[in-house]
Amino acid sequence: MSDYLEAQLLLSRPYLTKNQVTRAQKNTISDRRIYNQKKLTVFKLLTDTCAQLRLPRKTLETALYYYQRYHLFNPFETELCYTLATSCLILSCKQVETLKKVNDICTTSLKLRNITKLNQEYLENFKKRIFQIELRILESCNFDYRINNAVHIDEYVIKFCKSLEFESDIAELAWIIAYDALKLETLLIVPQHSIALASLKIAFELLGLTNWPIKKIETFGIDLMAVNEAYFDIINFYINAFDLCDLKDNLPQKSSIMVSIDAFLELKKKAGPEVGLIEIPSSEIDADPFISSPRDFAIMERRYVLSQKVLANEAFELNRSRDSAA
Amino acid sequence: MEYSKEKKVGEGTYAVVYVGTQRSTNRQIAIKEIKTSEFKDGLDMSAIREVKYLQELNHPNVISLIDIFMAYDNLNLVLEFLPSDLEVIIKDRNILFTPGDIKAWMLMTLRGIHHIHRNFVLHRDLKPNNLLLSPDGMIKIADFGLARIMPGPRETLTSNVVTRWYRAPELLFGAQHYTYAIDIWSIGIIFAELMLRIPYLPGQDDVSQMEVTFRALGTPTDKDWPEVSSFPSYNKLQIYPPPSKDEFRKRFIAAPESALDLMNGMLTMNPHKRWDSSQCLQSVYFTELPPPSNPEDMKNFLKK
Repeated sequence: MSDYLEAQLLLSRPYLTKNQVTRAQKNTISDRRIYNQKKLTVFKLLTDTCAQLRLPRKTLETALYYYQRYHLFNPFETELCYTLATSCLILSCKQVETLKKVNDICTTSLKLRNITKLNQEYLENFKKRIFQIELRILESCNFDYRINNAVHIDEYVIKFCKSLEFESDIAELAWIIAYDALKLETLLIVPQHSIALASLKIAFELLGLTNWPIKKIETFGIDLMAVNEAYFDIINFYINAFDLCDLKDNLPQKSSIMVSIDAFLELKKKAGPEVGLIEIPSSEIDADPFISSPRDFAIMERRYVLSQKVLANEAFELNRSRDSAA
Repeated sequence: MEYSKEKKVGEGTYAVVYVGTQRSTNRQIAIKEIKTSEFKDGLDMSAIREVKYLQELNHPNVISLIDIFMAYDNLNLVLEFLPSDLEVIIKDRNILFTPGDIKAWMLMTLRGIHHIHRNFVLHRDLKPNNLLLSPDGMIKIADFGLARIMPGPRETLTSNVVTRWYRAPELLFGAQHYTYAIDIWSIGIIFAELMLRIPYLPGQDDVSQMEVTFRALGTPTDKDWPEVSSFPSYNKLQIYPPPSKDEFRKRFIAAPESALDLMNGMLTMNPHKRWDSSQCLQSVYFTELPPPSNPEDMKNFLKK
């Protein structure tokens, strides 16, 4: 084996800013409109597959993170998106330990797409394609298993609700809002507990409650700017794409609230100026090869680390060996 | 390239293990090359679990995952190089070890498992073969292929975990809800094996494992483990009395009283009453003489 084969060392960055996401997608998504349309179809397919297989919300959430994360570093291809979605779901089942037989996931997914010619050969080929993508999805996530491991939006909606001693109707409404939040790229930007708290805040306000317990929330040690980022993302979604939301058709049965674009406009007005995570200047993003350069999967050795310290140590060792060679 | 594979040292169901070198530091490392193509269900769960938990756990008594890399479209895990394990040491009749050595190994194992449990992870496959030894004599808990995060109250778990001889009674009964106590049981059995130098409860199959376990340690009853009799397989069991303290002393003739207390705590039938890792670590056994051996002095075992 040659000593001079190319190698690459990548530090995991599980969450990116909005501008970083957009910049990375510039390399991979040529037609944003088609991508968004397909994403909604994929969302529906994954939701239906999860419902049929009785998989919990966390499995769906993780699959959607994988699907969107994949497209930050791999080109979007319309023909591949359903196969990719199924691959994301299979991987997600493994990640969150809600194991199902791969055959069951594949046949359910194919049937939902009205593919009826399901013989063994077709299924085997489909599975082969799925498994080829699996590792590529994990590479897109830099093999960072810390994400989508123990923290999931729906579980944290309930935990926060209990901790804040809220009534269950707030949790129920927040749980539905959190489902809509899965359609957004917010999953790539802030951690799940921030989305959970943002959903809870929106539910709290939609129910006309006042005195959001900010003092208690501050004790949770959450980055409130991340919560704001998610909060405005979700509100903007309801304002800009109300027709696409599931909330309007799935309001809690006991609740008498009415939701409309106006209700969300009102929330936005009351919330004041949009504040969220600090954005990185475009020039810096353009100069960052992690974001701006397409991933080169032809590089022979692609290494993935989670800690900045490992990266620094390695750079130090490398420089030292270069110096001593000189 | 940063890593070189020099020698194949083992092959498991889902990976091939090589010894190699990290070029930038010139240190020896182990590389687990995951067999991705041979699995009908894609990337194996064991590989996923191994990475998932080792990424989060960082402790002197838990094996370190140094790096992950893709090469020639294969997934490779870079782990610290550990040249031996407790099974090899126990089986090697040429190696004589002292009560202080056993104490040191138990202490290191319990420290490692305490860290694992503190991070809400169940190991689910503790056995001498998975307690590796580093070149400087440290015990490192390895093989997280069956590990999982502590489930929520409504989630059920498979009882088909842990290598048979080290399986806790609740697993033998087929429990779908269990706790960290299953790992403590395994360590209790390993403790006994270190003292006896033969496997303590070697059942030949799952049914005989129950028989062997309860004959040696007594069949649990509703009195000390409420509702144990409601497990479906309980009715078929023969009821054996628990061994007396004297019987226990005869079995482990060289063991001090504190060691027997610790072992009893770890091998308590009722998982709710079984000692947890904190209780084990605070056992008198670890504070009374002889002191645990210095791992540095025990590295000679590796050379023999």
